[in-house]
Amino acid sequence: MDKIDKKILDIIQTDFPLVPRPYARIGEMVGLTEAETLARVRALKEKGVIRRIGGNFQSRKLGWHSTLCAASVPEEKLEDFVAEVNKHPGVTHNYLRKHRQNVWFTYIGPSREHVQQALKEITSKTGIEILNLPARKMFKIKVDFPMHKSQ
Amino acid sequence: MTYSIELTPKQKEILKIVQADLPDSATPFAEIARLTNTSEQEVLELLTKLKDEGYIRRFGATLRHQQAGYDHNAMVAWYVEEGQDIDKIGQIMASRPEITHCYERRNCLDWPYNLYTMIHGQSEDDCEHVISELVQATGVTQYEILFSCKELKKTSMEYF
Repeated sequence: MDKIDKKILDIIQTDFPLVPRPYARIGEMVGLTEAETLARVRALKEKGVIRRIGGNFQSRKLGWHSTLCAASVPEEKLEDFVAEVNKHPGVTHNYLRKHRQNVWFTYIGPSREHVQQALKEITSKTGIEILNLPARKMFKIKVDFPMHKSQ
Repeated sequence: MTYSIELTPKQKEILKIVQADLPDSATPFAEIARLTNTSEQEVLELLTKLKDEGYIRRFGATLRHQQAGYDHNAMVAWYVEEGQDIDKIGQIMASRPEITHCYERRNCLDWPYNLYTMIHGQSEDDCEHVISELVQATGVTQYEILFSCKELKKTSMEYF
């Protein structure tokens, strides 16, 4: 990744231009042609730096419910529990963490009841209790990572 | 599925594409229009409106942190006691650039932690340094650090 790649990433993470020729617009900002810009974005996707380009929706604003869940899962049950949890399309993030509460995942569903029901089903199938920690207030969500810091 | 906003079947078709990945094209919005049998203008108007009104929180690229050099994340669960100003503390934590997520959450008896921050850094030391500064700045001293050891799943939600 060179300086121009990083500039492109900073632009398209925050504000991908909603115009007919977005790569021409981005190119203007970094001093490249449309074709050069598109080629660099394609290369960054192929290298796996960019996972996707698209819309990130605000679940609450859409009227959906989201929550953070934690579970304390013994080693021998881990594989089955994770497989059961990950089967749910509403589970978007799941991490193994260094703690007694070792499995942490997020669950998004069309309503609170829907999510509660789904968590109950996971518990009844696996025998693992799940902590349900829905948000009361959001102070910050910002998931674009400034590139100018990393050399 | 129900939504707080009314959408036509065509608009849902457009959003189905946009919640995943833009077509690989110099004119991605014209390509979406072709795929959904609408016009480029309709596609751009819909996306601009949803972004302006906050239904789309962010429109852009999502990176894999590992490849971008941010490979360590620590979730910290903080216990803000009654009588401490949780709004002010949440704002102090949210103001740090290393913190990507900061939420007040419902707690329960055996898990009293009510404020959650996600800290990203280039090492675990980076993350611990931020935590010790936050303890200084907020006076919150009871917390659990939850370093990630493995990503088990990471996808984007399919709403449509």
